[in-house]
Amino acid sequence: MNLKMGIKRNPVITSEMKIKMRGWRTALAVAAYLAVLLFIGFLYYLTFIESSYSYRNTVNAFQEMGMQLYSMLAVLQFSLLILITPAQTAGGISGEREKQTLDLLLSTKISSFGIIFGKLISSMSYVLLLIITSIPLFSLIFLFGGVTPGDMIKLFLFYIITVFSVGSIGIFFSTVFKRTVTSTVITYIVIFFLGLISVILGIYMIQAQFRGTGHVTNPRIPFILYINPAVGLADILTAEQGGVSQFLGYNIGTQTGLDFWIINSIVMMTIAAGLLYAGVKKINPIHRKKKRKKQA
Amino acid sequence: MLVIENLIKKYGDFMAVDNISLEIREGDIYGFVGPNGAGKTTTMRIAATLMEATSGTVLVDGIDVREDYLKVRGKIGYMPDFFGVYDNLKVDEYMDFYGSCYGLSRAEREKRTDELLELVNLRDKKDSYVDTLSRGMKQRLCLARSLIHNPELLILDEPASGMDPRARIEMKGILKTLKGMKKTILISSHILHELSELCTHIGIIERGKLVYSGEIQDIMRRITGRTILKIEVLSEREKALALFREQPLVEDIYGEENSFELSFSGSDEDMAELLRHLVLQGIPVKTFAKEEGSLEEVFMEVTREYELENGN
Repeated sequence: MNLKMGIKRNPVITSEMKIKMRGWRTALAVAAYLAVLLFIGFLYYLTFIESSYSYRNTVNAFQEMGMQLYSMLAVLQFSLLILITPAQTAGGISGEREKQTLDLLLSTKISSFGIIFGKLISSMSYVLLLIITSIPLFSLIFLFGGVTPGDMIKLFLFYIITVFSVGSIGIFFSTVFKRTVTSTVITYIVIFFLGLISVILGIYMIQAQFRGTGHVTNPRIPFILYINPAVGLADILTAEQGGVSQFLGYNIGTQTGLDFWIINSIVMMTIAAGLLYAGVKKINPIHRKKKRKKQA
Repeated sequence: MLVIENLIKKYGDFMAVDNISLEIREGDIYGFVGPNGAGKTTTMRIAATLMEATSGTVLVDGIDVREDYLKVRGKIGYMPDFFGVYDNLKVDEYMDFYGSCYGLSRAEREKRTDELLELVNLRDKKDSYVDTLSRGMKQRLCLARSLIHNPELLILDEPASGMDPRARIEMKGILKTLKGMKKTILISSHILHELSELCTHIGIIERGKLVYSGEIQDIMRRITGRTILKIEVLSEREKALALFREQPLVEDIYGEENSFELSFSGSDEDMAELLRHLVLQGIPVKTFAKEEGSLEEVFMEVTREYELENGN
């Protein structure tokens, strides 16, 4: 029953969805989000038309525009999701503490896992709504060619994994800090530094591999880059040109031979699972007593 | 129903709960009395599986709260002293949410919600948003919430705190109804005379130690040991006073105009005899009543004794 309450019939998800979706606030937020995407996409389209005036109306020009527009929208949406997700999740548990409702929740039969999972999924559902409603906008790119539905599915799957991972960081810090403001600020700082430091360290480590003789027999992408979803996104968007190796400017591959973004996703999901586990442990007031083994 | 054995809770060097042991049997209404910071809330939170003890055992219906806390949570209803509500959630949705948290089916949730909103007089507020309710209504709703899964044991931490007199009276009425329903209740309150009307047993806690635990009638008898008689005469004050002074069972006399308070160590028959004497002497008696000992007196007496014993 507890597993069911954790995943299938989680009252936290049902209740949070009801609270979040009630009224005009969510609808307005979705409309504003799409308006930003549409406006920036349209500006980009106009700029492209202006700059490529000489060879417009050719099939190649349309395809190139389609791919560039797609990449630009993908990066824009990714950045917005990275900005929005912590704001949604970093108050998950600390918000309950601030409202003095956490004790009421913990005194019921719903498990700590059910609470954490419910909070993450309900917070994510809002972000997922943004992702889903952006699909028609992205679909307009098909009119230009150059982007396949497979590319789009891969991208949106990666978005969901990224949102889950970033959301887990937010939820984890919301279990650690009592105040939502602190939890949110720390989440943003950690995400920013993880993103920045992983790239700086990653590039430094790649350069270190090539230092000296300049000839490396088996160059590999450093592990630190696998924690950064921005590198994964770059791999997806530059798949045609050879993926992340091309993006980093070195002809190096992954350890396993799998695409970078797949390993990136697995690593992020593993870290997210670890953070959620730590969050569950953190909010559980009772740490089950170990039954002593009878001595022979 | 609830057994606490040698419970200790330490925060660093501070001993919040100091080796408390008590037992609450099925149907008992156990009042937890003590000043702020005495350890009442800590003890209740440990029993409600919301906090871990440093050492000791807490059993709810024979189940150790640390071994199977989810099962224990199904048996208890907990109402904290401070709690909040969700915005944008209606009263029936609020009840439904907590019903789901206890794994009740939709039909059960609907039935229980109707019954409990009726019990706490909030039926007409079913479609109101929870955050628009008054404090007293929120307290009653929280009590209804704690009953949604029909728990065997209720743990109520200051259920009437911050309420206005009217809301207090309403809450007292609901608690009396629960007493009539034979619920086992552990309740803390600062309003001692309310507890004395409600509780069958009482525990007095002071600086983490349980100073007294037992039946409320026992402690009343133990502490007061004597009877206070309130007597009022219409006239003949001096004659009455002289008669009281002649009585060997009258220990102390406090008089103010035509009213007297006598400290009397006799039985009920002796009291009747004293009344007969007054009437035979031709003294017009307006009031002749035995004053019951109050829980306030008991509390003050027990805590004073404890402080004297501990040299404070």
